[in-house]
Amino acid sequence: MRTLVFIPAWNEEASLAAVVADVRTHLAGADILVVDDGSTDATTARARECGVLVATLPFNQGLGAALQTGYLHALREGYDCCAHLDADGQHPAAEVARLLAEVEADHADLVIGSRYRDPEAAAESDDYRPTFSRRIGTSVFRFFLTLATRQRFTDTTSGMRAANRRVMSLFSENYSPDFAEIESLQLAVREGLRVEEVPVRMLERAGGSSFLTPLRSAFFIFKGVVVLLVGQFRPRQHAEVKR
Amino acid sequence: MSWLPFAAATTKVHLTSQTRIVAAVIAVFFMLMILELIRRDRLQERYSVIWFVAGLGMLAGAAFPGLLELVADLMGVRNTNVALFSIVLLLLLGLALNFSVIMSRQAAQITRLAQERALEKAREQAAERSGNGTSGKQALEPEEKRL
Repeated sequence: MRTLVFIPAWNEEASLAAVVADVRTHLAGADILVVDDGSTDATTARARECGVLVATLPFNQGLGAALQTGYLHALREGYDCCAHLDADGQHPAAEVARLLAEVEADHADLVIGSRYRDPEAAAESDDYRPTFSRRIGTSVFRFFLTLATRQRFTDTTSGMRAANRRVMSLFSENYSPDFAEIESLQLAVREGLRVEEVPVRMLERAGGSSFLTPLRSAFFIFKGVVVLLVGQFRPRQHAEVKR
Repeated sequence: MSWLPFAAATTKVHLTSQTRIVAAVIAVFFMLMILELIRRDRLQERYSVIWFVAGLGMLAGAAFPGLLELVADLMGVRNTNVALFSIVLLLLLGLALNFSVIMSRQAAQITRLAQERALEKAREQAAERSGNGTSGKQALEPEEKRL
């Protein structure tokens, strides 16, 4: 089993090295690729200092394009499975390893790390405290995505995922540039792939700041709902039969 | 056009000869401008067809006002000028949409181009790191072997 862990990073010079070290510790057998989404800081230089491969996009194109770069690399280089996590230190690599185990055991094609799936664990640990606007967005997306996919999702915007080759070939060709997280879940379910959520522990971000101001959040939510609606009418690609 | 029930009942407003002359002159200049843009490689032929058709339509409307009046009657509009405005507006709307489609396609192409370039650089980096390519070829196995 060859595994690729890729880390999309946009201006994350402060936290990237720690994330890479964490991945190295908990996922010793995996190759690491940092996808620098046109950062204006020293993200690429930091990644190279860590000795990992870096794919630097020449200009910022959004999370979707960065993630797609990772999936494309994993597909072309023949990895059996891949996983990605945020570069800001919110996602412990030990949890990513659990997601990957699910994919390796072929329990699912795509596994999402959910910080909300296990309410008791969430209440117990004070590790992760979502902001108010994020909570609203989360419940709106949760509602519409569950409606669209008829499958229960709790953490629709989670950037911690593990996937097999089916998902790689689907996502490397069809990935929304502006609505990576939510639309990709809808797409995977529509294409008949097995998508599973696994409860994970997440941390407060170590560096950088969230891009969500209240106004942006509102627009983000609105756009997300429209994207989901349109996504329901997309023609199917029959990814479930491709391997 | 009295067989059309709504438009025929009241007085109609037609294009004046002055309007027609101005329109014809503008149409001719417009088409000359498009030809000039193509000639100087500022406009690709495939994007010029639609504009040329628009210019020809304008010329036809000026030369044969009967055409426009027919269209106005079909639309149920008494004033030929209003019909003209509506048609032009619709045409522009269609063109704008057409450009959005082209833009989306090009945005996707640009994204893929950037991704290819980024991955190519990563592969170069991997090749450099593994020296002559005998050790540490972690990410360099050819795709064919695996698929």
